Amino acid sequence: MKRPMRDFTHGELQWQPWITPVDLDTATPEQLTALKVTPSNRAVGAYSLVLAHDPEALSERSPLYNGIMFGAKGLPRADRELGAVAASRINGCAYCASVHALRFTQLSKQPEVMERIQADGVDAALEPRLKAIVDYSAKLTRDPAAITAADAAPLRAQGLSDMDILDLTHAVAMFAWANRLMQTLGESAAPATAGNPL
Amino acid sequence: MSDGNPDVMDVLAGLSDGSPVADLRRQRPDVVKHLQGSDDAIFAPAHHGGFTRPEREAAALRVATLLRDGALEEHYRRRMVALGETHPLTGARGEVIMAHIDCVTMAPDSASQADLDRLLAAGMTPHAVVSLSQLIAYVNFQSRVLAGLRMLQDAR
Repeated sequence: MKRPMRDFTHGELQWQPWITPVDLDTATPEQLTALKVTPSNRAVGAYSLVLAHDPEALSERSPLYNGIMFGAKGLPRADRELGAVAASRINGCAYCASVHALRFTQLSKQPEVMERIQADGVDAALEPRLKAIVDYSAKLTRDPAAITAADAAPLRAQGLSDMDILDLTHAVAMFAWANRLMQTLGESAAPATAGNPL
Repeated sequence: MSDGNPDVMDVLAGLSDGSPVADLRRQRPDVVKHLQGSDDAIFAPAHHGGFTRPEREAAALRVATLLRDGALEEHYRRRMVALGETHPLTGARGEVIMAHIDCVTMAPDSASQADLDRLLAAGMTPHAVVSLSQLIAYVNFQSRVLAGLRMLQDAR
C-alpha cells in the first residue's frame, strides 16, 4: 500500500508521530542531553522527541548530520541540498523534499531549479553540472549496488573534486537515513494555517 | 582510528591507513568520528532497550542482503555469529521485525501507523522500536557511503 506523494512545495510541513514522543517533563538526563534541552531552550519538535527514545543513537546522529550538511569548505552547501532533494523525491519524503528545496533556493538564488524538479522530478532538464549531481544522487539512492567507478566520471567532468564527490555521497546517504526515519516513525501533515499550498 | 580501534568504514571499503581515499575521509574529521560513533551507539549501546545485540546484527544483515551489498552482509553475519547466535530473529516477534526491515528499506513511503502498532504489539518497547528504525536507516546510509568510497577508490 503505497501512499500517494503529496504536492511538492516550498512550504514547511508539520510532522505527526506514530509513536508517543518522550515527555520532556519525565525525560531522563541522558535524553535531555541528547536533545540539547536546557532550562532556557525547551523548543524541541515531535520528531526529535520520538528519536529521544534512543538517546545514544540520537547523540551521535545529530553531530553527524551537521558535519555532513554544514561542514566548512568542500562541496557548496547548495549542492548538498540538491542531493538531499533528489534522494527525498525518490524516497517519496515530501517533508524532506520541501524543506531542502527551500534551503537550496535560499543558498543558490536559483528558484527555477526547484521549479523544474517540482514539475519533472529527478529527470528534469538542468544545466550540466546540476544534472550530473542529480543523476548520481538518484542512482545512489535507488540502488547503491549499481554504482561503479564509471559513475565518478560525469561528476569530475563537471569540475567536482574527489572531496566534493565524497561530500555529495555523504549528503545523499544521510537522506537515505533521514527520509526513512521521517516516513516510518510518523507522517507529514498539512498544517492548520490557511494559505499553505498543502 | 585515534583510539587504535579500526574504523568500520575503512575496513568495509578496504581502505588502508594513509591511502588516498582514507586521507580524503580525514578531511571531514567530524563525519569520521560520528559515523563510527553512530555505529557504536547502534550496535553496542550501553542500554539496548529490549532490542538485543544479536537481534541488531541480524536485522542489519537483512538490510545488507536486501541492498545486495556482499561485504556488508559478510560483516554483519560475522558479528552475529561472534555473539553466539545464528537465528536471533525468529518466532512472531522476529517475523514482525523482518517485515518492518523489508518495508523501511525497500518502500519507506508505504509505511503506516499499523506497522509501528504491530511492533509494539509484538512486545517491543518504544525505545526498541526507535532503535530498530535507527538501525535500518543507518545501514541504508552506510551502504550508500560505502558505494561512494568504493567508487572513488576504483576510479583512481
